[in-house]
Formats: sequence, C-alpha cells, structure tokens
Amino acid sequence: MSANTYDAIVIGSGISGGWAAKELTEKGLKTIMLERGRNIEHIKDYVNANKAPWEFPHRGGRTQKMIEDYPVLKRDYPLNETNLDYWASDKDSPYVEVKRFDWFRGYHVGGRSLMWGRQSYRWADFNFEENLKDGIGVDWPIRYKDLEPWYAYAEKFAGISGNKDGLSVLPDGDFMPPMEMNCVEKDVAARFKEHYKEARSFIIGRTANITVPHNNRTNCQYRNKCWLGCPFGAYFSTQSATLPAAMATGNLTLRPWSIVTRILYDKDTKKAKGVEVLDAETNKTYEYYAKVIFVNASTFNSAWILMNSATDIWPGGLGSSSGELGHNVMDHHLGVGASGTVEGFEDKYYFGRRANGIYIPRYRNMGGEKRDYIRGFGYQGGGGREGWSRDIAEMNVGGAFKDALTEPGTWTMGVGGFGETLPYHENKITLDKTKKDKWGLPVLAFDAEIKDNEKKMRIDMENDAKEMLEAAGVKNVRTHSGNPYLGRGIHEMGTARMGRDPKTSVLNGWNQVWDAKNVFVTDGAAMTSAACQNPSLTYMALTARAANYAVEELKKGNV
Amino acid sequence: MNRRTVIKNLALVIGGAALLPSCMKNNGGLSIHFKHLNISADQENLIGDICETIIPKTNTPGAKDLNLHLFVLKMLDDCYKKKDQQAFMVGLNQFNDMVKKKYNNSFSDLSVKEREDVLTALDKSSKSAADPSKSIKPVRDSQKSLDVAKKKPDVPPLNFFYGAIKQQTIFGYTNSKYFMTKQIVYELVPGRYNAHFPVKNLKTV
Repeated sequence: MSANTYDAIVIGSGISGGWAAKELTEKGLKTIMLERGRNIEHIKDYVNANKAPWEFPHRGGRTQKMIEDYPVLKRDYPLNETNLDYWASDKDSPYVEVKRFDWFRGYHVGGRSLMWGRQSYRWADFNFEENLKDGIGVDWPIRYKDLEPWYAYAEKFAGISGNKDGLSVLPDGDFMPPMEMNCVEKDVAARFKEHYKEARSFIIGRTANITVPHNNRTNCQYRNKCWLGCPFGAYFSTQSATLPAAMATGNLTLRPWSIVTRILYDKDTKKAKGVEVLDAETNKTYEYYAKVIFVNASTFNSAWILMNSATDIWPGGLGSSSGELGHNVMDHHLGVGASGTVEGFEDKYYFGRRANGIYIPRYRNMGGEKRDYIRGFGYQGGGGREGWSRDIAEMNVGGAFKDALTEPGTWTMGVGGFGETLPYHENKITLDKTKKDKWGLPVLAFDAEIKDNEKKMRIDMENDAKEMLEAAGVKNVRTHSGNPYLGRGIHEMGTARMGRDPKTSVLNGWNQVWDAKNVFVTDGAAMTSAACQNPSLTYMALTARAANYAVEELKKGNV
Repeated sequence: MNRRTVIKNLALVIGGAALLPSCMKNNGGLSIHFKHLNISADQENLIGDICETIIPKTNTPGAKDLNLHLFVLKMLDDCYKKKDQQAFMVGLNQFNDMVKKKYNNSFSDLSVKEREDVLTALDKSSKSAADPSKSIKPVRDSQKSLDVAKKKPDVPPLNFFYGAIKQQTIFGYTNSKYFMTKQIVYELVPGRYNAHFPVKNLKTV
C-alpha cells in the first residue's frame, strides 16, 4: 500500500463524517478522514469553555468589527464572541445568493457537531411514506423498519436522553434518563394533556446530552455552554464520541486543512479511485486513493464536491446524470412562535442551566386531517424566569432598583415552530465559476425559497402556538412570525437525494451514488424529504447503516 | 485616595473590569482609549455620574466602584453603529443642555434627588419612545447573546443616549464578577438540575 492509499476515505469530520470514520475503522478499514479546516482537540482547544460570563470583554455580545467580518453569520444568533472561532469565515468562503440563503458553516475538525442544537428525534414510518402518498418529489427508497435498528445503534453510542413517551408520531428510542421539566413546564404539560388528550403532546426534549456516565464521558453538568465544546464530553460531538472511538482502533488517520476538490473517477471501472486534496495551508495538491469514499462534507459542500468531479463524463458532475444533483434544497423554516407569562410560581426557581427544552411533536395533517397545506411542524420551547438584566416596572434608578435586580423576574413560556419544507426541484444550488473563494475554488450559488405550502403552514404555526399556550394557562401571549429565509434552521438537506430510480435520484437506498457505487453520501444531502424533526440523528443512523453495507459489499467484492 | 487609586484598588479586589491595563495610561484625563468615540474627560465623568445614579453605591458597590461607566463606553465604542454613536453624542449634548436649562447647573453638581428626578423623567418619556433598554433580553438563561447592535432607529437622541447608558449599565452590573459572585452566585459547573428550586435559596447557593 502506498503512503496515500487507504481502504476508505471519509470527507468531512462533522456528525456524519465522524460516524463514518468510527464505523469503517471499527470494521477494520484503514481510513483517512479529510477535514478542510483546522484541528480542534477535545478539551484542550475549547478555549472559552471554562470562562465566566464577565471574562468576555463584551459579555458575549457582538462588536461592529465582528458584524463587518461576518456578513452572513450576523443574520442570526451564531455570531457572538464566545465561539466566533468555530464558525467559518464568510469572507474566505463566500457564496452567491440569487435568493437570500443563510448558510452557517463550521470548517474545522468536528464541524458543527461542536455547535449543534443536539435535539435528537427519530422519524416515524409516515415520514418516509409521505412523498409517495402526496406525489411530492420521489419516494424514499427506505422505510422506518430499515432504519429502526440503526437508530437504536446510533442512540446507544451517542447517548440520547429522553422520555419514552409512547407516541406513534415520534417513536421512542434507546434513551438515557430524561432531563426534568421545571415547575412551570410541568404545569403547562398537565394542562396541555387535559385540553388536547392524545391529540397533541408536550414532552421533554430528547437531546444528545448524556445524563449518566457513558464511554469515559461525564454526564451533563447543566452548564448550558454546549456550543463552546464540553470539557466533560457530555454532549455528542465528533471530538467527544466518534473520533476517540475511531482513533482507538488504530485504523484512523486524521488530516486537517484538507479541502477535497474532487473525487477521482475511473471511467473504466465506473468507480471512484480516490480524491484530490488541496492543502488549505500550503495550497499544494495531493491525491489519496481508497476502495470506498464516504462524502460527509455537509449537505451543500458534499454536492459541491460531486459537481466538481468527473466533469469529463458528466458536465454537471458525478451523480448528475439524473438531473437532480444540487436540486431539492431543503431546510426547516422557522421564526414563527409565541410566548407569554405564567403566574403562580413566584416562589419557585430552578438550579442549574438545562441545555434542553420541551418539544411538541407534529400533529397537523395527521389521522385524516387535511389542512390547506401538506405536512406539518413541531415546536421547541421552554419555560424560564426572566433574568437579572430585565426592565423593572415602577422602578428605574437608585438603591432600591439595584436591590430589585437581584430578584428573579416573571416566569415566561415560549415555543417556536420548525416546519417541514418540501423538496422543490427548482430550489437549487449551482456552481458559480465566476466567483472564487480564498483558495481559487468556484463557489456555490443559492436559489431557494419557501413557497405557498410553507407560507400557509406558517399561519398555522403562529396561530396554533398562541392557541396552545393560552389553552395551557399562559397569559399575555404574543406571537411572532418573521425571517422566513431558508438556511437559518441550519438543517440543510437535499441536493443529492436518495431514491429508487437512477433517473430521478442521485443516491440509491444504501446512500451509494448511482453512477459510482463505491461513493457513499450520508449527510443531509441524501435526504429525500425533510420531515420536521431535527435531522442529525437520522444522518447518524443512515451513516452507520451505509458503512455497514459498504464493508459487506467490499468483502463480497461488489464495490 | 484619589479616584484612580480607588478604582484601581477596587478593581484589584473585585476584578470588575478587563479594561484596566488601558485605564492606567495617561490619556488626556480619560480612563480608556477609544477606537471610534471622541469622548472628553468631562463627558466620561458625566456618564459615570449617570451610571452611579442608576446603580449607586449603597452598602454594596456602585457603578463607579465597578467601572460600569467604562464598560458602557467600551460597549458603545465597539458594539454600536457609527450612526448610533453619533446619536449618542447628540443626545449627550442635549442632556447637558436640558439639565442646564432646568437647574441652571451641570448634572454633576446636582443633588442625588435631582439627578434621580432627571433620569426618572427621561425614563418616563422613553417609555413612549421605544426605549432601547426595553429590548433587554435575559442572557444568562439563553445561548442567544444579547444583540447589542439592535437599536430602534427612531428613538430621539436624548432618549437613545440615556437608554443606551441604562441598558449597558444594568447589563454590565448583572454580568459583573461582583454581582455574579456576591449577589446571585453564578455556578460555572452547577452539576445538576433542580427543577424545584425555591427562590428563597437563591442568594445562599
């Protein structure tokens, strides 16, 4: 074996790339994981994880300099001084917006597994069937039963805390003990149940924070600083979970600063033989070779790599023969919800900062209901008390005001919707060769937006939020609805969808590129529809399943 | 002890500000160096007096003890848009004129009661003018950081000036080391979640 030859190449080191590396190395494959950005070592490089709030010069806020430097990131909460280094530079890696698209990226080892929201939900069977039923896009080539054992496998290793709620809309998983609702959330949950019976549910969030020690990781310490990297390894990330497991096999080589520019396609064998890498530090080009290649560069960058590959055979790139590569861009549309105040718990507070909230699973267009749109949405939310920096009525300055700042504020309860976006062929990304990034590589152009179905859904998302909170006894409920741009859900999906037919999909039911069977795409790009659940757990399950299949096929000599 | 020494000593004790190294420079009477703001020593003192009126020294430290006025200025210098900084300066001058007209004196020469009256009147007029201090969100409970750049553009400069000072003074106070270690104890590692924690135990954590 030459120095640049491995059994497997994994492109990307985020949630799905980390899983691919773990599975492939544990099954004995010599694997190289290529990451375009810098290395971030577990614990050692979490430079802000143990700082107190007052140690940040702007107490966590954003400066005008940051706003100038990050024209995209500034559009939402990710831009802040506590973890600025974890977000890709908008200036080094620009993109074109035919329509506004908020693309928040993490270019470093671990990718966005270091900053993710950690909410982890299985899909239900109907989520896989709805495309077929509605005649939307293409049918998923798999069903819940295909993924069920892999969900369990992924949950068991990642460590998902949650309650077994017994809901058909949201299958239970292999959970660690759930986190606890606070007193207001429990009260709301009880009233919710009384009002909606079995029709709607209000449950504790299922989150990839471990609540008992697990695989040398310490259980969650309720710091709520998960976007900084956890010194306890309490939330699932590449660094805390998959990378150490892969390293322990002795089969993994990790190469940071490695931008994969294309997959090397051999037209004689009709397979990929390796990848071309541009070293992001030296600008030198290298080639690496392997029998199987897992593409986990994050949804749009995975499509970007395919678009740049095998262009001598297919002008649109590897996997473009169906005409679907780069199409069917999806995200969850959000920015709609409601909040209000809760009375009667003034003597109660909570101790610890729970990095989790409550969840209301989908209930619309279920059980025969037909709204004026299809699919549905879920809500995330939570109850809490206003903090110390609040406005205090009837008191504005002076000693009494100062003292009042030490009293906790009003209890509030709020929810925000996560709506399913349909896969529209015309929602697409393309290569814009007229514009180059810092490394002289062509950039992506985004042309995607929500359409009528999502806009109608948002009306329900807003009205239902108010109705449910009021039904649960929340007072002074106010709704909000705005900023409907795709991307800000940071749940990018589509662009290399799975399907049953090579004419209408990029990947088959095992996440193999139809046009190159030894290339597997198992990140969000593979998604055929979006459902409304947070998607990462599904990527983990898809990746573990595909890796298992890839190794079996390798052994049989089929790839 | 002169003011500098007081601040220096308090800061050593309380560790209230990360601003100190530049505080010690001889800077035309100013305590810190600004990148964008053009603030005189008198203006810095005025802001200090306003901060101290909002959060006065009682049996616990006040705004000046905690260098909150310097925090306000740092936030203003780093985090506010140029046009907001300009509005702030316009408002500052209007504030001086307003006080002069009403009391025939400068703010610094007013009694505590008079100072409180001035600010209370401003708070009242701000309530109807979309006071930026109303947009304060609790930051300790949420990942979302305070969006300090989000300001209502149509706030009159005088209200903007005072609103910005008040917002950042409260934000600085409740996120100061003093407040988070001596008033409401901030646990870096809570270790557990108690969903039924009585309020009465809050200060004795």
